[in-house]
Amino acid sequence: MLSNSNGTTGGRTLPEGEALLSVRGLKKVYHTDGGDIEAVRDLTFDLGRGELVCLVGPSGSGKTTLLKCIAGLLGATSGEVLLDGEKVTGPPKKMAVVFQEYGRSLFPWLRVADNVELPLKNAGVPKAERKKLVEEALDAVGLSHVPRSYPWQLSGGMQQRVAIARAVAYEPEVLLMDEPFAAVDAQTRADLEDLIRNVWKKLGVTVLFVTHDIDESIYLGERVIILSSSPTVVQEDIVIDLPAERDQLETRSLPRFTELRHHVYAEIQKAKQGHRPEEAKTTFLTNPK
Amino acid sequence: MSTVTTKPARGIGIRRKTTKAKVPNAVWGLIGIVVFLGIWELLPALGIVKPEYLPPASEVLVALAKDFTLTAFWLAVGETMLAWFIGLLVAVLLALVLGLVIGMSSFLRRATNSTIEFLRPIPSVALIPLAVLLFGTKIESSLMLIIYACFWQVLIQVLYGVADVDNVAMQTARSYGFSPFQRIRDVIFPTMLPYLMTGIRLGAAVALILAITAELIIGSPGLGKEIQLAQSGGAIAGMYALIVATGLLGVLINVGMRLVEKRILSWHVSVRGEIIA
Amino acid sequence: MKTLTSLLYILALPVLLILWWILATAGGASFFVPTPADLVKTFIDTWIGERMFTDVLPSIRRLLIGVVGAIILGVLLGLLVGLNRTARAITEPVFEFFRALPPPVLIPVLMLLVGINDGMKVAVIISGAIWPVLLNTIEGVRAIDPVQNETSRSYGISGFARIRYQILPSAMPTIMAGIRQCLSVGLILMVISEMFASSSGLGFAIVQFQRSFAVPEMWSGIVVLGLIGVIMSFIFQWIERRVLRWYNGLKEVENAV
Repeated sequence: MLSNSNGTTGGRTLPEGEALLSVRGLKKVYHTDGGDIEAVRDLTFDLGRGELVCLVGPSGSGKTTLLKCIAGLLGATSGEVLLDGEKVTGPPKKMAVVFQEYGRSLFPWLRVADNVELPLKNAGVPKAERKKLVEEALDAVGLSHVPRSYPWQLSGGMQQRVAIARAVAYEPEVLLMDEPFAAVDAQTRADLEDLIRNVWKKLGVTVLFVTHDIDESIYLGERVIILSSSPTVVQEDIVIDLPAERDQLETRSLPRFTELRHHVYAEIQKAKQGHRPEEAKTTFLTNPK
Repeated sequence: MSTVTTKPARGIGIRRKTTKAKVPNAVWGLIGIVVFLGIWELLPALGIVKPEYLPPASEVLVALAKDFTLTAFWLAVGETMLAWFIGLLVAVLLALVLGLVIGMSSFLRRATNSTIEFLRPIPSVALIPLAVLLFGTKIESSLMLIIYACFWQVLIQVLYGVADVDNVAMQTARSYGFSPFQRIRDVIFPTMLPYLMTGIRLGAAVALILAITAELIIGSPGLGKEIQLAQSGGAIAGMYALIVATGLLGVLINVGMRLVEKRILSWHVSVRGEIIA
Repeated sequence: MKTLTSLLYILALPVLLILWWILATAGGASFFVPTPADLVKTFIDTWIGERMFTDVLPSIRRLLIGVVGAIILGVLLGLLVGLNRTARAITEPVFEFFRALPPPVLIPVLMLLVGINDGMKVAVIISGAIWPVLLNTIEGVRAIDPVQNETSRSYGISGFARIRYQILPSAMPTIMAGIRQCLSVGLILMVISEMFASSSGLGFAIVQFQRSFAVPEMWSGIVVLGLIGVIMSFIFQWIERRVLRWYNGLKEVENAV
């Protein structure tokens, strides 16, 4: 039975030194002309090495704010983010982000291969090694046939694959994904979900996946962290005990999948209605049978 | 299949309202002006530049204030504005008519394309000697240059505008038996109007430049001529004052045209209920 | 067949106009308008030869130096100011003023400050041609997509690398539009500075012809100016097409949707 190691509100945390990514008491307040807006109140959870964790919550639950704070793109008001024990103050080298707006994140003046290569070039990786990494990354996402195309010549799904390839080639320890499949059609989304799981398994990278799609979060994740509504805290931290081999048809029709989905859906409804958890639970739902 | 445009917009997701600016932009702008005037005052005062060549800002501003009380000054301003206005008006009317006629016919568009592309880059100042020959130092010299330069600016924009008209709308109008005039009024004009306004705004700036140029070089009546007279008469501070006045006139025209453009286009949107890209 | 029709379209109107010109002056040249034959002959006599080296080439040289200088200075300054919100706010009113100031008006000023020499003429060109480049660079840099910026930051692309790999390419379409304006302003100022304050150069030569009523020569000078303008325009368009190939492709795709 898993439980909070420090007994306070928040998601699951690991013993000292075991976590790759630690979020502790993260708080973000925006100061605007209209007054202060507390977007995120208190977020605490850990990511172990090689985990695939999904963050789910009602809209306006500060998912993107949280991700940006973790990515070092936004400064937190208080609390901290630790990557490998070191505090995150700016975008850390070992992290890569995949944004939702792939069309605006990929550089339109660069061809696909050049887009994937750019972060490596900037990091001073030698040419031969760059070439290898780019080839492997494009291969991993299934785009070896279009290295010379421009991003805007490709479909939305393919563009997002390029963005994923770019992140993968960078060989990060942590991969952050901010609702990456929200702007893509359902069929493509299914393909991309499977792609992420394959890439994750093959490379052993740690993934934090933000989404508003409940089904997606359960299908993808080993663990799902449900966020409350703003000001955000962890509503619940659920372990997904579905089989490790996932398939769009098979897994989604498992009764366990439906149970989990019900539960998450119910929690999110509660969150939307402003239900604030007394203490976030880490739940290992027992099979009613 | 969704292709996402690269139109810049506000950041992702975060309902970030602008964080309180500690100092409003207008204040920074004022500081900029003060710093600029300060440097201008100091350069001659410290002898870095000879005061005979660059009088200090204070001296120039005093001369400018004095100008504002002289009728001769306002007369010159009026003469410049007259040339500007007439030249711009004629150019816009010509460009509008020709642009519509050419734009509505694909044959004419293709036939005139090479000629337009060839005549367009010819600098209107090349016509200065011709203007002098034909009109001497009369205002017609200014007008010739202004009309030539502004015409191309507006024509290009009108052609873009007509090209942007939705083909389906056009064909629908035709099938309903709209006369050419009705087609122009109801289908072409609304689409073309923003382009026309851009052309007029650009033309307005060009018209001022050419008006002043003609007055400066040829000697047709206006501020440019006064500047040249001040320069050859050695009234340096006065010359600088007139130059500043010309700049202010330019700023007024730019600001004025932007306001006019906004007004006309917002009326246009509310009447048509369309969103202009 | 298609190239033939294209060729026809390109040549038809100009040929017609030239024919009309020939007919109109068939009975002999008027004072103001030479016959086409006259003009061609005068053109060759006047410009092909010594004058090419004493007037035309020096003028073009000054123009190129001025325009290149304006572009480099304009982009550098534009980057400096554009990337900093405070700098933008401070400089805005002063820049607006100088943008609105008709460039020829600075000729008397520069004559005083720099004297009447080649340096002055180049200074005149730069003083006017820099503004479209400067202001467009500022605008191009200011309007960069925030998602693009975040992408750069997240991958640790910063400083010069960011300017080189992200900011400049992104702002290039706007900057190119500014360069186009810079070229036409530069040409105008080259001509005017020579008409107003010079003893050599293309502008000076044309004014001399006009003053001595050498009308066909004057026209030939106008033709030279026209040719320079057209050639510059074509060269620029060719360069723009290549530099902005990605942008044009992108626009095509967007408009098709």
